[in-house]
Amino acid sequence: MNILVPDQWLRDFLKTDATPKQLKEYLSLCGPSIERINTVNGEIVYDVEITSNRPDAMSIVGVAREASGILPRFGIAATLLDDPYTEKIHTEKKDYKKIPLTITTTEALNPRWTSVIFDDIKIGPSPSWLVKRLELVGVRTINNVIDITNYLMHAYGQPAHVFDLDTIHQGIMKLRPAKKGEQVTTLDGKTHTLPGGDIVIEDGSGNLIDLCGIMGGKSSSITDKTTRVLLFVQTYDPAQIRKTSMNLAHRTEAAGLFEKGLDPELVMPVFQKGIDLIKKLAGGNIVSEVTDIYSKPYKAKSVVAKRAKIDSYIGVHLETKEIQNILSNLGCKTKITENEVIVTPPSFRRDIELDVDIIEELARIYGYHKIPTKLPDTEPPTIYEEPILGIEQKIKQKLGDWGYTETYTYSMISKELLDLVHYDEQETYMITNPISNDWVYMRPTLLPSMLMAIKQNTSFEQDLKLFELSMTYAYRKNNIPLEESTLIVAVSGSRYGKIKGIAESLFTLFGIPLPEMTEPANSSYQKSRSLRLGIYGQLGEIDLAVLQQLGIPKPVTMLELSIDRLLEHKKSVTHYTPIPKYPASFEDLAFVVPEKTHVAPMMKKIQTIDPMIKDVSLFDSYKNIRTFHVTYQSSTQNLTKEEINRIREKIISQMKKEFGATLKN
Amino acid sequence: MKKIVTKEEPIAKDQLIRLLLTLQEDAVGAITESTESVDTLRLTWLGKNSEFLKLASSMRSVTPEDKQQIGAVLNGVKKSIESALASKQQLTNQQAESTADWFDTTEPGEQPPQGHLHIVTQAIAEITDIFNRLGFTRVRHPEIDWDWYPFEALNMPHSHPASDEWETFYIRYPGSPGKEYKKQKIVLTPHTSNGQVREMEKGVLPIRMINIAKCYRRQIDISHTPMFHQFEGLYVDKNVSIGHLKGVLDYFAKHFFGPDRTTRIRPYHFQFTEPSFEIDISCGICHGKGCKLCKEGWLELGGAGMTHPQVLKNGGVDTTVYNGFAFGWGVERTYMMKSNSNLDDIRLIYGNDIRFLKQF
Repeated sequence: MNILVPDQWLRDFLKTDATPKQLKEYLSLCGPSIERINTVNGEIVYDVEITSNRPDAMSIVGVAREASGILPRFGIAATLLDDPYTEKIHTEKKDYKKIPLTITTTEALNPRWTSVIFDDIKIGPSPSWLVKRLELVGVRTINNVIDITNYLMHAYGQPAHVFDLDTIHQGIMKLRPAKKGEQVTTLDGKTHTLPGGDIVIEDGSGNLIDLCGIMGGKSSSITDKTTRVLLFVQTYDPAQIRKTSMNLAHRTEAAGLFEKGLDPELVMPVFQKGIDLIKKLAGGNIVSEVTDIYSKPYKAKSVVAKRAKIDSYIGVHLETKEIQNILSNLGCKTKITENEVIVTPPSFRRDIELDVDIIEELARIYGYHKIPTKLPDTEPPTIYEEPILGIEQKIKQKLGDWGYTETYTYSMISKELLDLVHYDEQETYMITNPISNDWVYMRPTLLPSMLMAIKQNTSFEQDLKLFELSMTYAYRKNNIPLEESTLIVAVSGSRYGKIKGIAESLFTLFGIPLPEMTEPANSSYQKSRSLRLGIYGQLGEIDLAVLQQLGIPKPVTMLELSIDRLLEHKKSVTHYTPIPKYPASFEDLAFVVPEKTHVAPMMKKIQTIDPMIKDVSLFDSYKNIRTFHVTYQSSTQNLTKEEINRIREKIISQMKKEFGATLKN
Repeated sequence: MKKIVTKEEPIAKDQLIRLLLTLQEDAVGAITESTESVDTLRLTWLGKNSEFLKLASSMRSVTPEDKQQIGAVLNGVKKSIESALASKQQLTNQQAESTADWFDTTEPGEQPPQGHLHIVTQAIAEITDIFNRLGFTRVRHPEIDWDWYPFEALNMPHSHPASDEWETFYIRYPGSPGKEYKKQKIVLTPHTSNGQVREMEKGVLPIRMINIAKCYRRQIDISHTPMFHQFEGLYVDKNVSIGHLKGVLDYFAKHFFGPDRTTRIRPYHFQFTEPSFEIDISCGICHGKGCKLCKEGWLELGGAGMTHPQVLKNGGVDTTVYNGFAFGWGVERTYMMKSNSNLDDIRLIYGNDIRFLKQF
C-alpha cells in the first residue's frame, strides 16, 4: 500500500536535518521505500510504499518512527517527536448530566471500543493548515469535525469516526454481526446488501447506522445542523473487515488499515488527540464520561533468536551493543546473552513473531548493502535435468534451423474454438472467473490457437511456416490435468510431403519408426489427406470446412506430436556400426502399380527381401509408376553382377506377388 | 635448380639416367611454379640450348646396348616436360577466359533457411544456462495446480491480504472435491513459487532448483498479459546467508545484463520469505547515477527472500538444520530490461504477429 507523506507534516514528528533526497535514499535501503518525491503546490510530498505486514508504519508518525531508527545509521541525527505512545491521557471526570446511551459490543469483533459525547459543537470549515495538509494527502475537506477524523487517520494510522448523536434512536448502539440480506446505506449514498457476518451497529429502531471499519452510515452522519457528536475510535477483527470489504467490493482507506490488524494500544492516545482537536477546532464541550471497552488488554510476548543464527544469516558477527542499539531504536525491549537475544517487541509490532523476524529487523537496519556478497561454496547437489526440457530445446532449435518461426499463443481459448475442434466442454478445464470470452478454456489441443495465428498472419506472408511447443491439458476426473508437452507445426498450402518429412526427421531423433498406419487424423483434418501417427499424434491438411469457418482462404497443412510420448518410447539412437569394407551398388527400379497402392508397404517389403539390400528410397512417384532407388551392399564380399541380378529378380517377383506391380522397361 | 654439368667425354649409363631424372623433376617443378609464358618455358626446357638437348646429344657416346634403355628414359622425360607445359597452357587459357567473363560478386548468396525462436524461448535458454553454471538444475512443476501449493503451502492463507497481489484465475473442479485438505480447489498458478514446496516434497537435499513456467493473472495492460513466464530459484542448504542470495543474484545480473551492472537488495515483504527483498539492478545507461530513462539510477528487477521457516516445514524440511533462499521474476520483464530494445508493450510478445516474431 502506498501512502502520501508531506515533508512538513513528517517533520512535526521527526527532528532531523536530513534532506528529502537523503530521506528517500536511506529509507528505501533500510525501511519503507520512498518511491517518488512529488512537489505539490510548492510542498514536498513523499510517495511511500508500506508493505502489508506493517500497518504501524502506514501513517506520518509511522514513517517518522522508521526514519528515526534508520537515519542515525547513516550518521544523520534524527529524533521521533510527539510519539503518541507517550501521550498522557487526561480525560476529565465530572458529574455529567445523564445522557442515555446504551452500548453493547463483543470482544471478538471489536477488541477495543472508545467513545465520548460532545455538545455545543459548531460545524464549520477547518482552519487553513488542516485543509492544506489534507489536500496534500489527497483528502477533500468536508467540515471541521470530519476533517479531524481524517487527520487522525493519516497522522497516526488509526481511523476515527463521528456520529450525529441525535440521529441514534433511543440512545442504543449495538455492535453485532450482520444477518444475511440486511441493508445499510453508507455515507457515499450507496446501499449495500450484506452477505452476513459483517460488523455493523444497530440503533434502537433497528436501523444499521454504521458499516464498521469500512464506512459510516448515511443516516447518522454529521450535517451542518449537528450539535451533539459522538467521537468513536475502535479496532475490529481484521479478517472480518477484509471479508466484508472484499465481498462488497467497497475498499476504503479505513478498511485497508483495519484489515491489516491495528494496535488497540494506539486507540486511547488517538482518541485523546481527537478530543483535544475537536475542543480546539469545533468548540465542543464533553458531556459524557469516556467509554473504553477493552476486555483483553495487550500482553507483551517475547521472541528468542539464537545469536549464531543471526550471524549466519547476516554473514558477519553482530556485537551485543549493536544489536541492543538497533532493536531499542525500533521500540523493542531486549535481553542479550552470549548465545541468545530475547526481544519483547512493542505493541505495534505484532509482525515480530519468530526469530527470523528479529533477524530481518537486525539485518535491514544493519544494512543489506553492508552484508558481504559471496557465492555459495558448498557442493552442488547431484540432480539430473528432466530429459524433456533438453529435448524441447533441441526440437525448437531444429525447427528454427529448418526455417520455422516459433509462436507463443495463449493457453486459454474461447468456447467457439473449443467447439470448432469438437472437444467436450465438460471434460475441459474451465476458468470460472475469466477476464474475456476469448480466454475461458485451458486448451486440450494447440490446433485452434495455431489456426488463429495462421489466420492473423496470412495477409502478411504467403508462405507461412510456424510452430509452437507448449502444454496441452488433458482431462482427469477429480484431479489436476495431465500437462502434456505438445508440438504443432504448420505450413501454408497443401504441403503434405513437407510436413511428413518433419515428422519423419523428428521420429528419427527419438529412434522411433513412423507408425505403420493408414488411418486418417481426427475431424479437424481432411480425411483423404491426413494420417494418424499412432499414440504420438497426427498430420495432414486441415479440413476445408474448418478453414472456411475461420475465414482462412488457403489450405493449411499441420503436424501435431506429443513430445512426452515420443520421449517415453525413445530408443537409444547412437550406436556404432563398422564402416563397410566393400563398396555399395545402386540401381533405380521403376514399377507400374495398380490404383490406390500404398507405397510404404512396398518399400518395407523390399527392405526385407534380402540382407544385401541396405536401403530403399522412393526416387520418383509419377502417375502409376513408383521408382525406387535400391542400395545393395555386403559386409563380407564385393557383390557380383550375378548376385545383384539374383536379388533383383526376387524383388520383381515379390512386388508382382504382393502388390501386383510390374517392372517398367 | 641444380646446375647440370655435362662433359664431352663418355658418360656412364647410370649417371646419365640420374641426370635425366633430376632434370625432369626440376623442369616440371619450374614450369608449374613459373610466371613466365609457356613459349618461353618451352624454349628454356626443350629448346636448342636446353639441358635436355645437351643430355640427349650425349647419347652418341653411349654403348649400343645401353642406347635402348636410355632412349626410353629420354622419351619419358620429354613427355613429362611436354605434359607440364600443356597443363600450364590450359591454366593460362582458363585464366584468360575468367578475366574476360564478367562475374557479379555482389549478387546475394543462397542463405540456409532462417526460422526464428521466440524471445521467451531465447530468454529461458539463456537464464537456464547461467544458473546451470552455479549448479542449479531446471525442473518443471504443474501450471494448473491445487491452490494449496501456490498459497497455503507458502504461508499464505486464502483470505490473507497478501494474496490480493495475485489476481488468480480459478478452475471449475473436474468432478467433486474429495476429503483431501490440499485438493479442494484448482487454480492457474499466478507465480512459479508453487514449485517450492513441490520440490521439497521430492525429499532430496540440498536443493538448487530453477523452475521456469507459464503463469497466469487476471490482468492485461501495457505491462501485463494474462499469461506470462516466471523463473523461480530455490536454494536450500545448511547455514545459508543473505550474502549467498546476493552473490547468486549478482552473478546472474552480471552474466545476463553485462559485467558493469550491479544489484542491490531492499527490504520488502512476502509471506513466504523472511526477510524479504526487492531486487534492483543498476541502470545500464547511467550505472546508478540517475538518468532520464531510469530516473533513480536503479531499476526494479523482482522479489526474493530467505525462505520462511513455515514454507520449509510445509515441504518437510528440518528447519533446525536447513534454511534457504528463493527468488521469482518475470521472464518477459527481465528480457525487456536487458534488450533496451524499445520493446515497451509486453502484449506484443504474445501478439504472434509474424512481422514481430521475425525480428528476433
